[in-house]
Amino acid sequence: MIPVLKIMHVSPPESKLKSPDGKKRFGAKLLDILGPGGVISSADELIAYDSDALTGYRIKPEFVVLPENTGQVSRIMRLCYEENVPYVPRGAGTGLSGGALPAEKGVVISLSRMNKILEVDIPNERVVVEPGVVNLWVTNAVSSYGYYYAPDPSSQIVCTIGGNVAENSGGVHCLKYGVTTNHVLGVEMVLPDGEVIETGGKALDRPGYDITGLLVGSEGLLGIVTKITLRIIRKPESVKTLFASFDRVEDAGASVSGITARGVIPAGMEIMDNLCIRSVEEAVGAGYPTDAGSILLVELDGPVAEVEAHMPIVEEVLRKNNAIQIKVARDAKERELFWKGRKNAFPAMGRISSDYYVQDGVIPRSKLAEVLGNIGKLSEKYGLRVANVFHAGDGNLHPLVLYDSAKEGEPEKAHELAGKILEVCVDSGGSITGEHGVGHDKKRFLSLMFDENDLDTMNLVRCSFDSKGLCNPGKVFPTPRTCVEPGMKPYRENPIQKSGLGEMY
Amino acid sequence: MPDSKIVTRLTEIVGQRNTLTRQDEIGAYQPEGARPKAVLFPANIEQVSEVLRFAASESLSVIPAGSGTKLNLGNITEGADIVLSTKNLNRIIEHGASDLVATAECGTLLSEFQSRLREQNQFLPVDPPHLLSGATLGGIIASNDSGPLRLGYGTMRELLIGLKVVRADGTVFKGGSKVVKNVAGYDLPKLFVGSLGTLGIIAEATFRLYPIPESSRTCLVSFDNLDNSHESVMSLLKSDLVISSLEHLSPALASALGERAGIDVKGNSYTLAVRVMNVEKAVRDQMKTILDLCSKAGGSGVMVEGEKEEKLWEEIREFTSRLSGPGGTVARANVLITDVPGVFRLLEGFPERSGIEVYSSARAGNGVVAVSMDGEREALVSSLKELRIFSEERGGSLVIWAADSNVKKRVGVWGNIGTSLGIMKRIKRNFDPENILNPGRLV
Repeated sequence: MIPVLKIMHVSPPESKLKSPDGKKRFGAKLLDILGPGGVISSADELIAYDSDALTGYRIKPEFVVLPENTGQVSRIMRLCYEENVPYVPRGAGTGLSGGALPAEKGVVISLSRMNKILEVDIPNERVVVEPGVVNLWVTNAVSSYGYYYAPDPSSQIVCTIGGNVAENSGGVHCLKYGVTTNHVLGVEMVLPDGEVIETGGKALDRPGYDITGLLVGSEGLLGIVTKITLRIIRKPESVKTLFASFDRVEDAGASVSGITARGVIPAGMEIMDNLCIRSVEEAVGAGYPTDAGSILLVELDGPVAEVEAHMPIVEEVLRKNNAIQIKVARDAKERELFWKGRKNAFPAMGRISSDYYVQDGVIPRSKLAEVLGNIGKLSEKYGLRVANVFHAGDGNLHPLVLYDSAKEGEPEKAHELAGKILEVCVDSGGSITGEHGVGHDKKRFLSLMFDENDLDTMNLVRCSFDSKGLCNPGKVFPTPRTCVEPGMKPYRENPIQKSGLGEMY
Repeated sequence: MPDSKIVTRLTEIVGQRNTLTRQDEIGAYQPEGARPKAVLFPANIEQVSEVLRFAASESLSVIPAGSGTKLNLGNITEGADIVLSTKNLNRIIEHGASDLVATAECGTLLSEFQSRLREQNQFLPVDPPHLLSGATLGGIIASNDSGPLRLGYGTMRELLIGLKVVRADGTVFKGGSKVVKNVAGYDLPKLFVGSLGTLGIIAEATFRLYPIPESSRTCLVSFDNLDNSHESVMSLLKSDLVISSLEHLSPALASALGERAGIDVKGNSYTLAVRVMNVEKAVRDQMKTILDLCSKAGGSGVMVEGEKEEKLWEEIREFTSRLSGPGGTVARANVLITDVPGVFRLLEGFPERSGIEVYSSARAGNGVVAVSMDGEREALVSSLKELRIFSEERGGSLVIWAADSNVKKRVGVWGNIGTSLGIMKRIKRNFDPENILNPGRLV
């Protein structure tokens, strides 16, 4: 029998920022690298960086730095590595899982000044950008040539490509065109010890491991990207959008798998339930019927003949699933209005509830009706309303748990209910997050999906990149894991053992 | 431990019936002439795990294989104590037709998987070579091999959403999940695509599927010269057509394929094979547009459908192994779309200069050029080196898929892996500290 190494928990290395003296010296070194305009250290300015869009968690960083090029990012990270200072990369701060929550006694590395589109190569269908470039800018840069950048998170007018890479962001058109990872072909990145590497690139099939693929969606734990090569695609010849209303949200759910079962893959399929419809209608007047139990938005795109052939199939499925009303957008303006409702679902929620908690679970499409029923039951049990708005085609749910933070115990109840919803998702064969990431907020749920072996394997990846655990520490993984890998032999020392980071027992 | 004891122990794990040890039986399972102590065909994932645990404890090198179609892929192996074939792990576990996903053991033949999916009018849209000679799901994932369909659908990288893997120490873990959208934890499936069995043995995989399009048609358009055919490629890509496959065939290949598939192709000309899969009316409309666009650049085309179309695509898919003999050299130049004509021009010169035979086809919308060469060794070596320099200078790469071991040694299989080599080595060391899995093949 071969003894197996177990993960050993050792304390992270002592940060130099813990002593006032150390902090002062560290600050001086940052100024050396970036100059006074690139370092923020005053208490009132730091407040702007103490959370991302998930404002329930707040930690004030010691410094925020604003590098302007790869060399500066590399020098900052090398400094942090030498001085054992933890750091967190940050884009626009629109994340909803606390992925950019600062580390205690740490540094926030904001990429907002690295926001140039470096190259637009239309004949080869590539765009090269810096990480601080806003998602929508990419499409804007290529649309006059008839191209666009497909991943379109709802926050695309503000969120950055760097953040999209970290979270592997999705959007309403992912059903047909894939998520960020399907459109990122290569990156330049800085490893936690300051080394600059390139993976992938404009040409396909680079030999070696797919480091790019591993990096996308790694939530900033493996390094910081400083340059990203994107694939752009042709705009479709035609687009048609419709919505259908139903009495029951389950019927909308059944329509979704009914449509794909008929061989039609729409560009997007989105569901909203009655609570959502009402708040959205009040806010933007998208023309949704407020008495409907739910509505389903369907967008078809592609060659004219394909869209025309698929439209009747979609309508037939909708009617078979008891659609009350089917409304096809007459023109681009009406189409935009239909989508405006969907895209404003989150902000509109403020009209019917003082607070809400956004959940992000994924389920197999075919289980939509069943899972929505279970969420309804949970909502009743906890006595809290749950509004549903989601990327139905992908099975990516966004239940909004509504609560009132002024009422004692309600925030905790909402939090617990949101967790139970994730359990329902995983039990149905799904995932705890489809696009927002695990971050700080959901790491307690990661073990619902992955067992010790799965998590240990992910830790092997982490340790290959960041043996000190300084890069966005404390995120994603449920317990502090250090770089002691499960080894195979008792008599041969593991490289990580040798470096003194762990022991076998 | 003496060899006889090793073999006894391995036989105990997988059973006598699933172990080959005699020289005459091992035959087809000898990677580049190395002679394994045993070839094993475990019946389930537990046996794979046990074999690896034992191999790790004895520092025995393990070469993962399926049917053996890619046994020689990569650098020349640094050790081959055990060949572990997943051929018996061939169950299709689940086909969730309404979710467009399916899970299968990785020894499942792609051809069998497809016929099962076809029952529900769905398919896994990959068409790498060796489809009929036994390509398995695991082998296609591990090599990230692909064919003409990748323009429309991508490679395994885009289709694999979950997997179960046995690590070098025998630990079984899973990555990804059974839903298309999932960003929980690291995207481990991506790491295993193209990892050539050096990080673990893939035992089970889950894929996203697509509905089989209602109709399909292909046109073959010949041109007087390369400039005109490339101009058509660019105008096709710039149009709003939705093309599934777009192959740019060299004149030699076009003639050979025409003959093999029984299609009348204009002799000695660069030829485009353009395939559209869609609803019938969209196929018809788009075929017309394609022919119009191509004829503007002086192309003349024939339409191919039905059985002939299938045969044509089979020949394109398999040409690298069918047109060059068993000892032939197969390579892929991965370049930008706009550098494809440059690759063709370079290849054009080889037969005249060094007497080798060259067939090539570019996945024109992806910049991936499949090349097969046959001829005298020195000429092959210098041609491959030239092709590599050309590709790497333009930010691309040249990878050798098959060649005799001497050619491999002199040219190098992968070329310049670049600045990420260090991190690759660290990953390999952490996943496989004893370096038992396919040692030396990749990094």
